[in-house]
Amino acid sequence: MRRLYRRLWSETSVISRRQYWGLIFVLPVVVFFAVFFLYPLVTGFILSLTDFTLLRPPVWVGLDNYFDLLKDRLFLKSISVTFGYVFGSTVPTWVLSLMAALLFYQKFPGREGLKLLFFSPLLPSVAVVSVIWVVLLHPNGILTHLIGPLFGKAEIAWLHDLQLSPIVIVIARVWSVIPFYMLIWLAGLTAIPQEMRDAARVDGANRLQSFLSVELPLLRPTAVFVMAVSTIAAFQGFTLQFVIAPNQGGPVDVNTTLGIVIWKYGFQFFRMGDAAAVSVVLFAFIMIITGLQLGLGRSDDYSLN
Amino acid sequence: MKFRLLFALLLFAGLFAMAAQAQEDQVTVTLWMHNHAPRVAIDEELIAEFMEENPNITVEYEIVNDFFTALSTALASGAGPDVFNQFTYYNAQFYAQGLLAPVDPVAMGYQTIEDVYERYGEGAIGEAVLAGDTFNGVLYGVPTELSNYACYANDDLWAEAGLDPATDFPTTWEGLTDVAKQLTVRGEDGELIQRGFDFNWYGNIYIILHFDGMVRQLGRSMIDEDTYTAHINTPQVARVMQYWNDLVNVHELGGPQYTRSRDAFNAGELATECTFGNWGTAGMEAAGINYSIHNIPRFADAVDDIGFAGYAFYLQVNANAPREVQEAGWKLIAHLTSQPGRYLNEAALFQPVAEYLATEDFANNEIMPVFLDEFHRSAYHPRYAGAAEVGDALGRARDRIILGGEDMETVLQETEDEVNDILERALADIEAAGSG
Repeated sequence: MRRLYRRLWSETSVISRRQYWGLIFVLPVVVFFAVFFLYPLVTGFILSLTDFTLLRPPVWVGLDNYFDLLKDRLFLKSISVTFGYVFGSTVPTWVLSLMAALLFYQKFPGREGLKLLFFSPLLPSVAVVSVIWVVLLHPNGILTHLIGPLFGKAEIAWLHDLQLSPIVIVIARVWSVIPFYMLIWLAGLTAIPQEMRDAARVDGANRLQSFLSVELPLLRPTAVFVMAVSTIAAFQGFTLQFVIAPNQGGPVDVNTTLGIVIWKYGFQFFRMGDAAAVSVVLFAFIMIITGLQLGLGRSDDYSLN
Repeated sequence: MKFRLLFALLLFAGLFAMAAQAQEDQVTVTLWMHNHAPRVAIDEELIAEFMEENPNITVEYEIVNDFFTALSTALASGAGPDVFNQFTYYNAQFYAQGLLAPVDPVAMGYQTIEDVYERYGEGAIGEAVLAGDTFNGVLYGVPTELSNYACYANDDLWAEAGLDPATDFPTTWEGLTDVAKQLTVRGEDGELIQRGFDFNWYGNIYIILHFDGMVRQLGRSMIDEDTYTAHINTPQVARVMQYWNDLVNVHELGGPQYTRSRDAFNAGELATECTFGNWGTAGMEAAGINYSIHNIPRFADAVDDIGFAGYAFYLQVNANAPREVQEAGWKLIAHLTSQPGRYLNEAALFQPVAEYLATEDFANNEIMPVFLDEFHRSAYHPRYAGAAEVGDALGRARDRIILGGEDMETVLQETEDEVNDILERALADIEAAGSG
């Protein structure tokens, strides 16, 4: 008995020592996460329960800010704008980036050069990309010269037409992020063993059948990642709406996403408590949607493992 | 031995007390200013001079980008500056939150507050100049730059259209539409290549600075800063909105979709621009624009002879700074506003000090008389807490009517209700802060 106890103690001690070192190794990340993520998250939530004008100390108001949001015109409008932007910019991104990945998975002359060119929109910052789009979208600009004649228009108010403006912002977004997600898809395609495709061929499947029945199911983990990351990023949409859209989120708020509302309330209108409440709501939206996506995508049926 | 030890201890204590006293007398003032490169060199020179004259005061001078956001967040976190300059558009908000210390005339080297007003002009003139930072009869700062707008004509583009700005520049808005049509150049398919005149559509602040100026010409501002009430669904606002709408949708002379008016003017694509201050000439000269300056047009049946609203940056002291720092701050402000001629000539910033206005240097300035004339006939924009939110609502109303084609009366009434809600909330905030 005593021997067994000593052995157990000894093993526990080894485990403890290992855990101790493990803790030390993860400590910097834990501290970083606590200081830069957890603390702002908790502080943001606490601020959302206050009336805070930035210039005076916060005053506790409980859930009033959340109840006020239920009848806040700009907030309610920004929800529909945000969901429209998320849907409009994510679904085409998934499809087009996957198509691009399938294209670049093939071997053809000049593939690497073309891939580099295709990847170039990712190199400049979103702010720089936004400025380029502002130039392209001048009513007498190059895009009007290319597309205007098709509709008999000498000028197109791309950004100031209330219907056209959100579509243009979505197109700019999709254009700028496709290369990134294409790379993710490409990594997923590369990870599928060639034997699986060969087996499908041997069984008589054509290229399309092989893709639909073998590759696509095996891409499910990649798809979940692409969907989750792109959806989170789209929910946080801010820079394009801030830089390209007239008057930050305009015209007439058609590009006012939740991110723009947070900025306006917090740093323009001195309503930091309301801004914090909107950010908590945005956080909740992201958590719910991402949770649903991860839940739907969870399955071992097609896992290579 | 004991005596020696006691002596040494007393000596040490004395030295320590002297050092502590010296430390106590030393005051550090942090000064934040918005970025305006030509001004910074003069600021730095004057601050160095000030510290030499006042060896017990150290000034930590900082130029802050994204000034408004940085200043607000710094003050919120308690890390704000002791002295800062701020735009009249936001001053009421800062006043409402109890952040501004009243001007200390004695610390500035004056006998009374009346002397401070007198420095900017006798009687009503001094009061008008300093009205931008006067709340409930109390003065909270002095101006580092007073701005208002005049119209600039690109003389070459006018000449190409067979017009001479000296004789043909219109005095009325109605006349400006006619002239703008003559100055407009279209391409083969009707696209605008050169605009004759356009408003400044960028930024909701211009709604208060020039749209409201036009409304005031017809008799009443959209915002009553005394009662915190909005008057938006009025015939005057509808008339001005119709003028703007006609310019875009009837005459098709311009609109928000085109290059921003100031950029377009300096690029030689816009013949007339009316939202440059006296500081605008540097950019025009750098761009090689041959310009002339003219008064803002009035409506033919205007009841008030005013142009666009004036605005200013004021140097102010943080009310939460310690008393001795506040005093040092006002002393510094007096020094920084003691060279109006240098600031005008070297940085194009106008400090309307009465004594300077009477100098030959000012009299010889080619462009300032037009701006001073406009300012004397005009006034500051309405100053109230919640200005940014109100500006946002007014900008949306303009775009709903002009870009969205919505019914004007409906939009104006909805906007009036929305703005009244914003002002009501701002007023409640002022009362809560005890600044009212």
